[in-house]
Amino acid sequence: MRQLAALAAILLTAIACEGGNKPSLGDAAATPGGTLVIASAGEPDVLFPPLTATITGRQITELVYDHLADLGNSLNTVGDADFKPHLAKSWAWSPDSLSIQFHLDPAAKWHDGVPVRASDVAFTYAIYKDTANASPLAPLIADIDSVTAPDSLTAVFWFNKRSPLQFFEATNPMVIIPEHALHGIRGQTLRTAPFARAPIGSGRYRFVEWNPGSSVEIAADRANYLGRPNLNRVIWTIAPDPNVAFTRLIGGEADFLEQLTPPELSQLATHNDIRVVLLPGLEYNFIQFNLRDPKNAARPHDVLGDRGVRRALTMAVDRSRIVQSVYDSLAAPALGPTVRAYPTTDTTLQEIPYSPDDARRLLDSLGWRVTGADSIRRRNGHPLEFTLTVPGSSKNRVNMAVIIQDQLKQVGAKLNIDKLDYAAFITRETQRKFDAMMGGWHVDASPAGIRQTWGSAGARAGGSNYGSYTNAAFDAQVDSALSSMTLDDRRARFKRAYQTIIDDAPAIWLAEPKSAVAINHRIHTPALRPDSWWSSIGEWWVPPAERIARDSVNPRR
Amino acid sequence: MARYLLGRLLQVAVVVVLVATITFFLIHLAPGDPFAEAVANPDVTEKVRAHWREAYGLDRPLPEQYVKYVASIARGDLGWSFSAQRPVADELRDKLPNTMFLMALALLGSFAVGIGAAVLQVMKPGSLTDRVIGGLSLFLFSLPEFWLALMMIFLAYRFPIFHIPIGGMIDSTAHSSLGLGGRIADVARHAVLPVATLTLILSAVVARYQRAALLDVLPAEYVKTARAKGVPERTIVRHHALRNALLPTISLFGLAFPALLTGAVYVEKVFSWPGMGQVIINSIGSRDYPLLMASVIVGSIVVALGSLLADLLYMVADPRLAYDR
Repeated sequence: MRQLAALAAILLTAIACEGGNKPSLGDAAATPGGTLVIASAGEPDVLFPPLTATITGRQITELVYDHLADLGNSLNTVGDADFKPHLAKSWAWSPDSLSIQFHLDPAAKWHDGVPVRASDVAFTYAIYKDTANASPLAPLIADIDSVTAPDSLTAVFWFNKRSPLQFFEATNPMVIIPEHALHGIRGQTLRTAPFARAPIGSGRYRFVEWNPGSSVEIAADRANYLGRPNLNRVIWTIAPDPNVAFTRLIGGEADFLEQLTPPELSQLATHNDIRVVLLPGLEYNFIQFNLRDPKNAARPHDVLGDRGVRRALTMAVDRSRIVQSVYDSLAAPALGPTVRAYPTTDTTLQEIPYSPDDARRLLDSLGWRVTGADSIRRRNGHPLEFTLTVPGSSKNRVNMAVIIQDQLKQVGAKLNIDKLDYAAFITRETQRKFDAMMGGWHVDASPAGIRQTWGSAGARAGGSNYGSYTNAAFDAQVDSALSSMTLDDRRARFKRAYQTIIDDAPAIWLAEPKSAVAINHRIHTPALRPDSWWSSIGEWWVPPAERIARDSVNPRR
Repeated sequence: MARYLLGRLLQVAVVVVLVATITFFLIHLAPGDPFAEAVANPDVTEKVRAHWREAYGLDRPLPEQYVKYVASIARGDLGWSFSAQRPVADELRDKLPNTMFLMALALLGSFAVGIGAAVLQVMKPGSLTDRVIGGLSLFLFSLPEFWLALMMIFLAYRFPIFHIPIGGMIDSTAHSSLGLGGRIADVARHAVLPVATLTLILSAVVARYQRAALLDVLPAEYVKTARAKGVPERTIVRHHALRNALLPTISLFGLAFPALLTGAVYVEKVFSWPGMGQVIINSIGSRDYPLLMASVIVGSIVVALGSLLADLLYMVADPRLAYDR
């Protein structure tokens, strides 16, 4: 009880703090300084943006390098209305909207002093796009035909079709990399080049050092064209064990920790020097049903291929209780294959309601009846039984599976839980050798990924729609939503698409976790962007009166 | 002697090849994919994944992959780590010394503490000292490494008297600005808890072995003679009995290498120590075949050489064995 009260108190504080501290930028700008230490669970893989796959790597590279323009906190990816100039001071659309001219800031320089030029932008596009480099980000810029540099400060993006996401595609997946530092290096050698572990960017922070397995440090670029950032240094200290990471935070060795768990939040209630910020989550998890027979994909699944059975199973699951039990207040029941952080998500979607009685009636009507002493329903001698594959590495998903097993038992369905290590889980998933699996998607700022995850395009071999759900109406509704040019219209069209898939129940939408981060009170921040809290680090500051010993250590040159 | 050494080194080579071959096939046959993380990203298309598999030769039949792997090892090329995105040799060069550093300190510490404790115990067998040390060593012996490591963190956090760091190998905020002495001291401070964890558990084993061996030797005739001559008990135990009672403990020295290596896996994880323990855990989880293979090869070499070292020490402690070779 005391724990719950403590958690409630800290969450109230967190919500109050969600918008960040009000910056007194005058003070900060007058006396920049301070060190931010981030306790990070993982080491970066490589600091070469086209190949970076880890979240820590992305955080570092997005501070060392620059986007042409920055997406605002609204996460509205339609058009360019919610984008702010960054490396590009301005831009102009062609009359037919098939090209965008970006005008670079003439003061922008690489950290080695060489000016940033339009040829760097064209080079960047070529590196991301080159199939020899196999950049995981290449599919995100598929609609860009080419990038040209008519003069040293103008880069023109040419598109193969008009879409509401053109500007997002041109500015979000890619950060601009220096041509002169990579001259003559191509393909596999890009990975092995020293540059890939000691980057030269144009961002407000420059790379300092990487101690393998221990830490990565970046430092303020004092002469940066966008102005000197407030903090002197940002250090990622690597702690693969969550207990060590958390102890570093509460012991004062670290200033920032993300992905807090409910028990950690409770403990933080007694630490007045740490505040918690809750950010809207960009992740949702679910039980995905395999609609095809795992042994013969040409046939529908003998139990889960039936829409009525799937709806009945969904009715039998009390999602609110599950979310409350597993996540406490750190998640909300998922709405569908989307997240509330998207401005295109309508939160008035009609969910399949929790009703075990209706579930029993529906199963009865479909011919699934309890005939034996084991209370398991059968139809033509075939039991209402299936196996749920769960990644053992996720404690939350395992806990949810156990509760769901009990809830399904109440309506006469037998659920077996198969716990696998993550790599084995992924193999089973991609080979589609499962009845149902406990999945989750972390989405990026644009909802366009839904075509791959739930559309017919992803249902084919090699796609990411592992349950093989197909519905032509859903595909058409998603296409129409993604091609809509206004936010309200886009939201209305997405609502129709989401409602279609919710009604078809190819999955039980479980939880939409929020992102809880803990920050030392010493560190002051503006409002954090939901999909990338680190994007505003240049504006974070430590007031001189609150500085501690490590804040006065100067970065190594 | 040289012939004996050559023969043992050949044995080491055979053991390493066998271990590497078995591991190669087991890890490749286990379900999973080095690109599992990428698979979880819907933006990474099957085309891109297929390109990666082709680039790393993972689309080839397993025997062909094995032959290519053996050929590359023969050329001294340990391959490319998928998870660390760098040559495996570079990853080992950074991480292996850190683990060897921990192991060396723990090995020295545990044998010094264990032998010292046993000597104290046998001075007066059955005394309070003997019973307290015996109980303590049994307690430590029965503790899992990870639990003791977590307790160490708890104690260091609750009682920050000496400001012992609770994780990592360096103070990331200050290390680079320190002089050489400061850097060494920084690493030493960070090594206190992991070394103490490994040392305490192994020293308990050593103490129990050594006590039993000393008690076997103390009734011997030469000890009785020394006592009859009036040699002090401390000198008898240290100078007469201990050397003869060291042989079983030297056997333990050889066995300590695999125990320390597996212990280091847990301890490095808990203390975020950037060594081979973390490399092994990560490479298994991410199915990073080249990195895991190299870790297994290095591990088996360390264990086999440890066993060889124990045999050589055996000969130093009992020169009669050397003449038998």
